Amino acid sequence: MFSLIGLILLAIGGFFELVGAIGILKLPNFYLRVHALTMTYIGGSLVPLIGAALIALERVELGAQRLYVFGTCVIAAVLILILAPTGTHALMRATYFSNTAPKQPLVYDALEAKKVDKEV
Amino acid sequence: MLVEVALPAVVVVYVASSIIYLARLVLGPTVPDRVLALDALSLDLAVFLVVLSLMLNKPVMAFTVIPLVLWIYAVDIYVSKYLEAKEMGE
Repeated sequence: MFSLIGLILLAIGGFFELVGAIGILKLPNFYLRVHALTMTYIGGSLVPLIGAALIALERVELGAQRLYVFGTCVIAAVLILILAPTGTHALMRATYFSNTAPKQPLVYDALEAKKVDKEV
Repeated sequence: MLVEVALPAVVVVYVASSIIYLARLVLGPTVPDRVLALDALSLDLAVFLVVLSLMLNKPVMAFTVIPLVLWIYAVDIYVSKYLEAKEMGE
């Protein structure tokens, strides 16, 4: 029962990983590629880690060490849940305020006034 | 029984997407693009290690995932600090 749920979560994770990889390759802009990156963070890494933890619970070939694998996967998933938004936001904020990447297909920039205030 | 068939398919999907991330890591025009591809590649490697340890019944390979996840965050923070302040920190 657990491993069936785990397999479904792994399938969802594989789908998100492939779609996010295509997005990271094909999207035209850094700020658009961050959208695909966050998709691979949560959909492509957190969900399949929980699925792998559920599969490891019913994996009798591993012996008693399956509980260690379960704990490792759950701890890594919680760490990704905490660290992924903060790390991505810090990277994007630094890129915006240092003008490193071009923001070409941009219609309206609401942060521009705040940036001028910060420089003055 | 279903697990034995499904885990190699998941490995194939993750290896294919890691090749696409490698293309972005080489192509990427700016530094943040390369960091972004490196983040995605490392997370791909984390899930790949866990699935491979389940497939080969070797639980030792799964324990390296936690330092890998922490290292991804360290790369993000170091690069963003360098981009914004032009220094790495002591």
